[in-house]
Amino acid sequence: MRSPAADVRKAQRLARKDRRAERGRAASTILPPEGVPLNLPVASIGVRLAAQIADVLITTVAAVCLVILFSALELTRPQTIMAIAMLLFFVIRVPYYILSELAWNGQTLGKRFLKIKVVAHNGGSLSTHALVLRNLMKEAEIFLPGTLLLTLDQESPVASWIALAWVAMAFAIPLMNPYRQRLGDILAGTHVIHLPQPILLKDLAGEAKPMTAAKPGAKGFAFLAHQLDHYGAFELQTLETLLRAQDKFMSPDVHARNRRTVATIVEKIRQKIGFADPIPPARAVEFLRSFYNAQRAHLEQRQLFGDKRADKHHAADETPQ
Amino acid sequence: MNARVTPQDSALIRSARFRKEREADWRRLEDLVEKAEKNGLQNMDFAGTRDLASLYRQATTSLAIAREISLDKALLEYLEALTARAYLSVYAPQERLGGLVGRFITKSAPQAMRRSWFYILLGFLCMGLGALAGYLLYLENASWFYVFMPPEMAGGRGPDSTTAFLRSVIYDDDHSSSGLGAFATYLFSHNTRIAIFVFGLGVFACAPAFLLTFYNGLILGAFYALHVDRGLGWDLGGWLSIHGVTELSAICIACGGGMQLGMAVLFPGRNTRKEALRLAGKDAVKLAIVAAIMLVAAAILEGFFRQTVQDMWTRYLIGWTVGFGWLAWFMLGGRARQ
Repeated sequence: MRSPAADVRKAQRLARKDRRAERGRAASTILPPEGVPLNLPVASIGVRLAAQIADVLITTVAAVCLVILFSALELTRPQTIMAIAMLLFFVIRVPYYILSELAWNGQTLGKRFLKIKVVAHNGGSLSTHALVLRNLMKEAEIFLPGTLLLTLDQESPVASWIALAWVAMAFAIPLMNPYRQRLGDILAGTHVIHLPQPILLKDLAGEAKPMTAAKPGAKGFAFLAHQLDHYGAFELQTLETLLRAQDKFMSPDVHARNRRTVATIVEKIRQKIGFADPIPPARAVEFLRSFYNAQRAHLEQRQLFGDKRADKHHAADETPQ
Repeated sequence: MNARVTPQDSALIRSARFRKEREADWRRLEDLVEKAEKNGLQNMDFAGTRDLASLYRQATTSLAIAREISLDKALLEYLEALTARAYLSVYAPQERLGGLVGRFITKSAPQAMRRSWFYILLGFLCMGLGALAGYLLYLENASWFYVFMPPEMAGGRGPDSTTAFLRSVIYDDDHSSSGLGAFATYLFSHNTRIAIFVFGLGVFACAPAFLLTFYNGLILGAFYALHVDRGLGWDLGGWLSIHGVTELSAICIACGGGMQLGMAVLFPGRNTRKEALRLAGKDAVKLAIVAAIMLVAAAILEGFFRQTVQDMWTRYLIGWTVGFGWLAWFMLGGRARQ
């Protein structure tokens, strides 16, 4: 037996988790000028760090090449080579970030590798001012404490503490807001998103008809309206995921397991909706496809009449008279 | 555009029919978006750009309808992603880089400088007060010099060094430390670091920026007092003016930018702090860029001219001419013609 206090704590924790998930969902919505909200998931700190490291590597390699060229041409003396290397790194990287984000619409090379992108917070287009600002702040936020960390010595503990506090702040600010904005993003009014990949899978409802027609001997499955009242959109879309997985290539082991799963699901559905005829195992997938079609047509019809059914508990939500 | 609805399609359910009618358009939009992302909108032909814009608007409508009528998860996800991709390429920044730099120099930088005159004045006041305090403190007791001055910056100069040594540093005819290497070294010298810190730290409620600028003034004041004490005041003035007019102004301007950010954090007014910071950032970042340009100019002056120009009055002339040049840019640039 658990104490009531533990239950309360658990409920509070769940509520907090829900609130956080809600904030996260709200953060990933952008409203373009056309007024149809788009769902663009916010890129996490890890992905952005990886993109940043890739960019630093690219600019460092460019700077090193130039330094080698300069010393081959004997333009530098050994005493000043460090200062020149610093200068070149600086001169290459500042325009690199700004120009690449301007030219590629909010993507540096590192961001392109990781398929993330800068977008304007308010759904408008990215302004030049915003891109310049967020990349100049990057100097103060990332590179300055970075170089500070590299040049620390034990004699100056104050500098070490300042550097530590600064780096901690640079990481804490993105963690504290749901958009994962760093200071430069806040100033510029931007945040970074994952680039969505449009992949159009074929329509299950569009293909099912010719398939049943291909087998003239077999009779199609027919469902009555009351048999389709049990499930909602969530179950329908779960079934969709299962049916799409049927087309993939499976190893014999996986295939056997899949057949058992499908048989169980068919049995469950039959019991729930009260479908009397037995289903031979060979026609199990076909049964699921026709059920999917009928269920989707039914639910979409209900939805058009203003009766949206999120999941199988839709009947319980309606207040009983 | 090219919807093909055959009689057998009418047997399909509504959302499948909806998809069948529009699928060709979506595919075309997909192609166009890919082309725009690869080659840029500027390099697309007229028909392509026109179709991209109109197909994008059609896709947003399709998405809105699909959300209402369709329960096909794959379709919803596809449309969502396609519309988002099209949105991102339709609303890409379309500005030419050349015009950007030109506009900054001729218009937006001087205008931002004039708008934030109060903060820049605060920056100059800060450093001036520091210099005055440093000067007076040194005259009171010379050992204050060691308190303020970091040893690596003093380069052996201090109350204990001889007047002849101080003079030799000011009029040093050693050409080995000029050119590109010296330029790079000076650019990453003390003052640049101070300028970056002063700007960046301004966000933390002004105080760090204020203190750092004041401290920089203290160093300057003590250093100047040391030379006045030995009768080298005018000579040091010349040595410092050649680049110092530009460099110290850059620090004060950076301080002004930092303070602007700090003020937005301290007194956001009716906005939220985030919003106030965003608004203040518009001018502050221009101040930071101006300061950066000035620091590069100062490093050029320091690396190439300080040791080659040995005459005191020529040093004054160069330093203050450049200084007035900056002032003229800030005062006169970007004014609307009457």
